[in-house]
Amino acid sequence: MPIALLVASLMTVEAGTPTRVDVAELPAIVAAIKAPGAQAVLVNVWASWCEPCREEMPDLVRFYRDHRAQGLRVVLISADDDDQRAEVARILGALGFDGPAFIKRGNDMSFIDALDPKWKGALPATFLFDGHGVRKRSWLGAVTYDDLRTRVSGLLNRRKR
Amino acid sequence: MKLASMATLIAVVGAAAGGAGAAESAGGLALGAKVPAAVAKTKMKNVDGKMLSIADVTGKAGTLVVFTCNHCPFAKAWEERIVELGNTYAAKGIGVVLVNANDPAMHPDDGFEEMQARAKSRGMKVPYVVDDTSGVARAFGASVTPEAFLFDKAGKLAYHGTIDDNRQEPDKVKARYLKDALEAVAAGKKPAVPETKGLGCGIKFRG
Repeated sequence: MPIALLVASLMTVEAGTPTRVDVAELPAIVAAIKAPGAQAVLVNVWASWCEPCREEMPDLVRFYRDHRAQGLRVVLISADDDDQRAEVARILGALGFDGPAFIKRGNDMSFIDALDPKWKGALPATFLFDGHGVRKRSWLGAVTYDDLRTRVSGLLNRRKR
Repeated sequence: MKLASMATLIAVVGAAAGGAGAAESAGGLALGAKVPAAVAKTKMKNVDGKMLSIADVTGKAGTLVVFTCNHCPFAKAWEERIVELGNTYAAKGIGVVLVNANDPAMHPDDGFEEMQARAKSRGMKVPYVVDDTSGVARAFGASVTPEAFLFDKAGKLAYHGTIDDNRQEPDKVKARYLKDALEAVAAGKKPAVPETKGLGCGIKFRG
């Protein structure tokens, strides 16, 4: 196995280990989106009981794994109630997601408008920001791996050959 | 967090985007718009078995149309408040109809019998109807459950949006958006906050 792949696999959370999930209001979520070091940031809003959200999540996590070495950050924000935190952590852990994950608290309107004023709040929704926090794209509905590859790849570092 | 600093944060992420984002769908009736003519007289089956249109339920003081459903946890969290508002303001001259536009093939809980059971258990005194093509929801540009459209006595959209500012904890609600809008419209006034948003389930549109 090439060293880079070996390192990447060691960095991956073992599937089944619950992902760390923080209950957070907008400022902490914005800080996670805008933290330095990413070339592109995908923000997905979902919920554990939302079937379309659950259906797209494996593609999102796989896309994250395949592209994080090129500078992709994925921030997952659950609209579940606080008492579902363990379930949210279990679902994301089962997929091996080890990026920033939140359960959102606080005012819906501020949250919605911060991500995209054109969004009306329906789940799921995914937003693409560049490394400076400038929104480049919104998907109001489910996304696929190919949707993401088409739009996100141009923002990322080129793969090293 | 203070409102001013929250606004600053929104400016950082949201306004910095400056419209660069290409939303794939958005919209909804604009404030001042009337019920789309194409669906104003569309008959929808009520839980009592009768066929009703929005035109049939139009009130003297205004009309409230709420897109909701049985299965969605957001709609369920607000359900008691929606029913209470509907029952209360129906008695004050506001025509009220709750509309389920979801395809029950995607969520059996959204089927007609389940609607009947829900209407009974929740004590609904207002119609709860099936939009059996999702055509009414499409014409309104509705996309979320729950989503409220309140028309004034002239039939113009006066309020569009969510129910209040705290789905999870009814006793901690600070802004009762829909109640305040209903109170204003029932009194012949314009709502102070005419448009709001809340997280919700995407409507499961039929074919």
